[in-house]
Amino acid sequence: MGWILVLLAALSEFAGVIGLKKFSENKTLGNGLLYYGGFGIAFFFLYNSFKFLQVSTAYAVWIGIGTAGAVLINMLFFGESKSTGRVVSLLLIVFGVVGLKALS
Amino acid sequence: MNKAWLYVALTSFFELVWIFGFNTATHWWHWIIIVGFIFVDFHYLTKACEGLPTGTVYAVFAGIGTVGTSLMDVMFFGEHISIGKIFFIFILVLGVAGLKIADGQDEKKALKGVKGDGLDSSIIGSTK
Repeated sequence: MGWILVLLAALSEFAGVIGLKKFSENKTLGNGLLYYGGFGIAFFFLYNSFKFLQVSTAYAVWIGIGTAGAVLINMLFFGESKSTGRVVSLLLIVFGVVGLKALS
Repeated sequence: MNKAWLYVALTSFFELVWIFGFNTATHWWHWIIIVGFIFVDFHYLTKACEGLPTGTVYAVFAGIGTVGTSLMDVMFFGEHISIGKIFFIFILVLGVAGLKIADGQDEKKALKGVKGDGLDSSIIGSTK
């Protein structure tokens, strides 16, 4: 159950990130709802996963999937750069975030 | 470009403010202030995305938030810093710095008329 909640939290975060992208380009009510709603629901699911999992574990997995997903979504669907330097830097960030969260 | 990085700094700063609030809130009205800071934080997050790739902004936002909360735990809440934590903080700083350099290079390419949108390698190949 805990992991399902973490997965739902990550999926909601993807929605939030797409909302962030769209809302930064076009400040419509729908984009704003996707942005704030996506992140709001993500935190709701994450908070509830803490009842089943250790906080540091749940947080590390959620933020790892979320950050990697946010980057991939923007590369694949919004045409952001896939240059080697960028990909390596992003992998370092995801690795660092997951590692540090797992230790906290 | 530089203004966008200023917004990245602001969104990261306000992120740490509301996370600090989460750890210290004791009264109901504290939570109102915290929610206010979350909205300010999210406002600067969109401002940053207007000038930089969203993937970059989000990764830096997550990275600085993570380093910041770890350091906050050590400085204010009596957590211990370990070699492992220092290692991952170093990796994160490296990643953020690398991303700033990489996006700067993409921007230079874009200025020269080569699009840095994932098609760049094929375009560079065809222009050579």
